[in-house]
Amino acid sequence: MHLPEQNPEMEGISHLTDTQEFIEKLAVFAGAPEGVSRMFAYLARREKYSKGQVILEQGKECDRCFLIISGQVDIFQMHHDRRFHVQLLSDDSINYFGELALLAEFNWFFSARAWTDVVLLSISREAFSKVLERYPESYQKMVQKIITLRIQRFSAQTSYQLDHLAPDAWREDPPEE
Amino acid sequence: MNKKQTETSVRVTERSLFYWILRRHRGMQLILLVVIVVSLFFKVFPLEMQKRIINRAIYLQDIDLLFLYCGLYIGAVTIAGLLKYAINVLQVSIGQKILVEMRNELYNHVLQLPLQFYRKMQAGTVISAMTAELNTIGFFLGGAIAIPVTSILTFLVFLIFMINLNPWLALLSTGIYPVELFVIPWLQKKYNNLNKKRVQTTRKMSNVVNEAITGIHEIHGNASYGLEERKLSSFVDKLYALMRRLFLVKYGIKFANNLFQSFGPFFLFLVGGYMAIHGQFTIGALVAFLSAYEKIYDPWKEMIEYYQSYQDAQIRYAQIMSIFDLDPPHLLLPDNRELLTLQGNLQLNNVSFSVPGGVTLLEDINLTVKANEQIALVGYSGSGKSTLALLIAQLYDASKGTISIDGHDIEAMSKADIGKNVAMIAQQPFIFSGTISENLLYGIKSIAGRVESVERAEIMEVVRQVGLQNDILRFGLQSVITPEKCRAFKQKFLRMRQIVCTTLRSEFENVIEFYDAQKYLYYSNIRDNIVFGDSLTGEFTIEHLPENKPFLKLLRDLSLEKPLMTLGYAIATQTVALLADFYDDEFFFRHNPMEMVEYRTYQQLLERMKGPVPEDSEARRLLLTLALRFIPKKHTIVSFPSALAEKILLARRGFQKQIVFIEPCQDHGEFALKPVSPQTDEEPTFIPFCPSEYLYSRTLRDNILFGAVKSEDILNDHFRELAASAFEDEQLLEEIMEIGLEFDVGSRGDRLSGGQKQKLAIARAFLKDAPIIILDEATASLDNSSQARIQGLLESKYKGKKTVIAVIHRLDLTPAYDRIFMMKSGRIVEQGSYDELMAKKGDFYALARTES
Repeated sequence: MHLPEQNPEMEGISHLTDTQEFIEKLAVFAGAPEGVSRMFAYLARREKYSKGQVILEQGKECDRCFLIISGQVDIFQMHHDRRFHVQLLSDDSINYFGELALLAEFNWFFSARAWTDVVLLSISREAFSKVLERYPESYQKMVQKIITLRIQRFSAQTSYQLDHLAPDAWREDPPEE
Repeated sequence: MNKKQTETSVRVTERSLFYWILRRHRGMQLILLVVIVVSLFFKVFPLEMQKRIINRAIYLQDIDLLFLYCGLYIGAVTIAGLLKYAINVLQVSIGQKILVEMRNELYNHVLQLPLQFYRKMQAGTVISAMTAELNTIGFFLGGAIAIPVTSILTFLVFLIFMINLNPWLALLSTGIYPVELFVIPWLQKKYNNLNKKRVQTTRKMSNVVNEAITGIHEIHGNASYGLEERKLSSFVDKLYALMRRLFLVKYGIKFANNLFQSFGPFFLFLVGGYMAIHGQFTIGALVAFLSAYEKIYDPWKEMIEYYQSYQDAQIRYAQIMSIFDLDPPHLLLPDNRELLTLQGNLQLNNVSFSVPGGVTLLEDINLTVKANEQIALVGYSGSGKSTLALLIAQLYDASKGTISIDGHDIEAMSKADIGKNVAMIAQQPFIFSGTISENLLYGIKSIAGRVESVERAEIMEVVRQVGLQNDILRFGLQSVITPEKCRAFKQKFLRMRQIVCTTLRSEFENVIEFYDAQKYLYYSNIRDNIVFGDSLTGEFTIEHLPENKPFLKLLRDLSLEKPLMTLGYAIATQTVALLADFYDDEFFFRHNPMEMVEYRTYQQLLERMKGPVPEDSEARRLLLTLALRFIPKKHTIVSFPSALAEKILLARRGFQKQIVFIEPCQDHGEFALKPVSPQTDEEPTFIPFCPSEYLYSRTLRDNILFGAVKSEDILNDHFRELAASAFEDEQLLEEIMEIGLEFDVGSRGDRLSGGQKQKLAIARAFLKDAPIIILDEATASLDNSSQARIQGLLESKYKGKKTVIAVIHRLDLTPAYDRIFMMKSGRIVEQGSYDELMAKKGDFYALARTES
């Protein structure tokens, strides 16, 4: 698709281009055709949260994935009414979460809150699927990438949890019941 | 079947067409007859004058006589015309009055017909019969007596007049008429048969259309347009063939009439002319005779037409009445006694229920429920539990056995008795068009004295109990309230705004960009930023502003027009390029100032524009529209040129000073509430976004939040609860509820979700406060928490206070019931408490296991 040359009088257009550049740098969307990242930049919504504010809640329906533009986000899980910290995400490390929401409908299995003041970009599942409907060849690749990244993150989280297990929680074999 | 109809009254469907005509509005009909008789004189009198003008005035060359006869002639003709006018008016008035009564009585009868009738009757048939078909009869009814009486009398008077002039000539010219008496009815009979078929085909066609409209979701879902079209076209073709034949016969009758009419003058000229030549007949008499002949044909024609319309009306009437020819099974009101007030002891003895065709749905049901006991009816699908509930609610009548409440046989109870004592909630309840409040009160409106006694607090309590409160609050918040309606609540609404904008400001600032006269608003569009208010006349909407001359002048004066055009151009070029492959889906336009339907227009505009400067007024209008819609923080297609903000703030001040002539908000940031005098306070036509002003063209929510929502996703339940609890502390919620109760639910409650409809129906039934509540899987379509809420209500509020009969599918709800009746193939196979039935390990146990 051809996008018009930037007109010097149209100072506004750079905003969309900035967002597009940001998206293209993310592991999740790296390698997507230009048209796709441009559309994601166009459809992404900017969300601001103050420190401590809940971004998403475990058990609630998920509908979008989040990209961190600035700040830190605490990912945690509630288990038997206790909060378990899972991961601290920030704009300069793993700067996205909720990417599985792009692929399927489910309820969040974790919660997220703003650890500092944060600025996020969110992309809805509807936007993701509507754009990729027009780019079917990219869809497969993107799904694969999201799953691969998710597995990496899952194994990192599991390692973190195992490192923090109580010594008596360790087991070699399944319990006999 | 009907044992309760009084002997004197004839069932509406058994009455003949003339029953209505002869028994209704007799006084008016008598007046009509008198007018008709009087008018006859004035019809004949001019003929006599015609004769005298020729035979006397002209013959004697007497000018005075000529003037006299001409004066009398014109006087009589005028009076005859006026009387004819009076006859027509009276006739239509009588017809319509009878029609109103006929329609009301028939509708009343139709509503009382048993449910079985509606199972086999299509809505289209009933609607067509009650509306269009009855209308046609109305036209006949008015003239049912007047037309034949007028016609026969007129015919006779003119015939006597003619016989008086010349008996032989009179007999000769009218001798052809009796032949018509054989030909016309023969043709009419054919016409009637075809007409009967036409009525039936039209009804079938109405049913197909009605079914298609009702089931439009399925048609769209299955793309079965062709199928439905074929269904209709078979009837359309049939109707076409029928109508063709019908008109052949109809015009055949007309042809026969015209032919017969021409025979008269033929004989008159032949014989009358011969006699006049031989001096046996005066010219004056011949002229009068010709006039009389012409006049005698009119009543004859009218009689023929009357005969035709009588036949037509008779067929329609018989067909309408035949479809409703059933007795309502129960009386509406009890005879000579007050309505029963029951305790709720229910007894069923050997009750069976069969449907036509001999299929037995319930067999030998014996059941005793004590007052205030709560029982559950369970069983596999088709076991008859819902049918049993319908029998208890008197919606069906048992084929065998008796059902009694507190010892009264429900067969003998009136509908009003049941209406007062039984509240029934169906699985798919019907919601009527109107407001929430009207629907809530529907059940108790027909119980005398109940509506008046229901306090607002009682309604609110039930609404809260069934979990409808938040829905109603939301409806209230979504309402746009007129100044008149708002007057009583305005101060309270402004107080809510004050709470959000001051007390809760720090929390809400994250989600709302509050209106501030001194600041540029990045979550509002440019129009709102400049106009910074609303006109009640709609004068300053985005649609109208690009053509508003003072507004355009203001933009030019402030050198704002060009940058806005450039912004509009940037939005257009970016959108047209970016969405070239996506312009067919509304989704991609949700966060764009351009609408999907406008894509082509802007595409064509850009093709004809040579640069960013618009050359014609249409281009300027289109580009300015996009710019005025632009919301910097929401529309990502371009970013906002920062230099514009300052200029727009200047334009805001200029707009207020030069266009709407108001001072900038004095109470900036203070949210002080001005006292409002209810009598003298006249609302101005322009209302600025000032903290002390209610914005009548915006929703209540917009008014309370007093700013633009940054993101609906973030404005979540937390904020709603925060505001709701603050409002509740100051008892402000009731006002929003009041507004919410007036929310229009749309046709069949289409503006409500399935759950909301269900909760509304439950609240409607609970408000009746009847001793017996029947729930036919009433909570099945609710989510788990709403279902638990209703169940909890039965177990707490109504425990030991109401007799509850619940048809239940989910067996995990049954332990709360005093007794459970397990049904299988139309019989009760087990009964007992949950624990007893589980211990018994019978059918209930088996069903419970399959469910878990």
